[in-house]
Amino acid sequence: MRLVGSDRYGARMSIATLELDLDLFSGPFDLLLTLILREEVDLLELALADVVLAYLDHLEAQGELDLETATEFIVLIAALLELKSRLMLSGEDDDELLDIEPAQAAEELLERMLEARRYRAAAGHLGELLQREEGVRFREAPLPANLRKTVTQPSDGSQSPDLLGEALGRLLRMPPAISLRHIGVPKITVAERLAHLRGLLRRGRFSFDEAVRGADRMTVAVTLFALLELYKRGEVDWEQEESFGEIAVHARAQSVESYTERIAG
Amino acid sequence: MEAMDATELQTPTLEHTVEALLFLAPDPLSEQELAEATEVDAPEVQSALSALAEQYAQGRRGITLRELGGGWTLASHPAAEDAARRLFSRKRVATLSPAQAETLAIVAYLQPISRPEIARIRGVSADSATATLLERGLIEEGGRSQFGAVLYRTGTLFLKLFGLRTLDDLPDVARWDPTPEEQATLRERLLRAGEARAGSGPSQE
Repeated sequence: MRLVGSDRYGARMSIATLELDLDLFSGPFDLLLTLILREEVDLLELALADVVLAYLDHLEAQGELDLETATEFIVLIAALLELKSRLMLSGEDDDELLDIEPAQAAEELLERMLEARRYRAAAGHLGELLQREEGVRFREAPLPANLRKTVTQPSDGSQSPDLLGEALGRLLRMPPAISLRHIGVPKITVAERLAHLRGLLRRGRFSFDEAVRGADRMTVAVTLFALLELYKRGEVDWEQEESFGEIAVHARAQSVESYTERIAG
Repeated sequence: MEAMDATELQTPTLEHTVEALLFLAPDPLSEQELAEATEVDAPEVQSALSALAEQYAQGRRGITLRELGGGWTLASHPAAEDAARRLFSRKRVATLSPAQAETLAIVAYLQPISRPEIARIRGVSADSATATLLERGLIEEGGRSQFGAVLYRTGTLFLKLFGLRTLDDLPDVARWDPTPEEQATLRERLLRAGEARAGSGPSQE
């Protein structure tokens, strides 16, 4: 491995133009990055340590450390390392991982449940202790002032009527109204959902679940209104085999055309 | 021991002094505190305390001498509770809700502990329970975790109200661990519930 420092930009060379001569690749660093991202160079086969060594050689040849370039290099090489480590780890079958996960999750959940149980029982014990101590009282009165080791006087001026008045005055002033502009109120209109449903209808049959996949509750509710509206207008019909089952929606014969025009308006 | 005569009062014994200090102190007094205040050695204080404990033994007086919260303190006899309630119109300590008791147990055993950790163990938020316990003085803030979360611990009031000398009086928490059979049943139930969920289809959420 050998480093060919490019002098095109003088001493302050961008890291992109760092010339590399590795087993797998020879050329500027940025080309290597591009090829890796396009998966034309296999990152798993590339020895990143060699890239680091090449950079260190380059630094030595240059005799001075350019912080900006160094930072750039570290960021890039770190990203490559992360990418590579992920590639190496994902070698296992994904399905296998999915199989393990519920069992592991259950095990973890169990551990937590046991822990929670332990402290619930401990709480019960505390309750018994409290019960046993029922009726035992202690002196609650503070020590009389003349018996205390240290006497804390209210600080000077804190009891002046002016201060009290000012404090009360502040309380009486109406505070500015709190702006709620940052809270986005979700606005979903029936018209929007009508358009959405008609779009689906044009493609043929669909299920209600499909129509609201990934939607929030508000959208689901409004979509249901829209569906009822379509039914009322005689545009759609639906079937549901059982309670909570899938709702299959389909267009009612020869109604689609006539009504599509109406919504547009 | 009934009524003290004048000569005894003029030459107070250590017992008398210790009794007086206990009467005055709002918080439990440790043997060391008593020894320093009375300027005698700890063993003498101890013997004075045991003599006092004898006199205040349960059932003898309206007041009892208790070793609680890292020291000694005078407490009312439970027999006086009804009258005390009428006089003060306030219960000595309001009962704890299950959430408060659980939170208190977690703090008592795992202190110092932060609110997120309590919530993790309980599986539900502990904010309101923590706030109530703080307000009642059963727990107090004791520093911050390395991540900046407030850490909670129990204080003297907790030990006093629960009749504990020190936190070591609390039984080992492991004694409430479920038996292996119970664990197995729990695990089985959990896995069955998991399968039932998985069977209902991934589109459910």
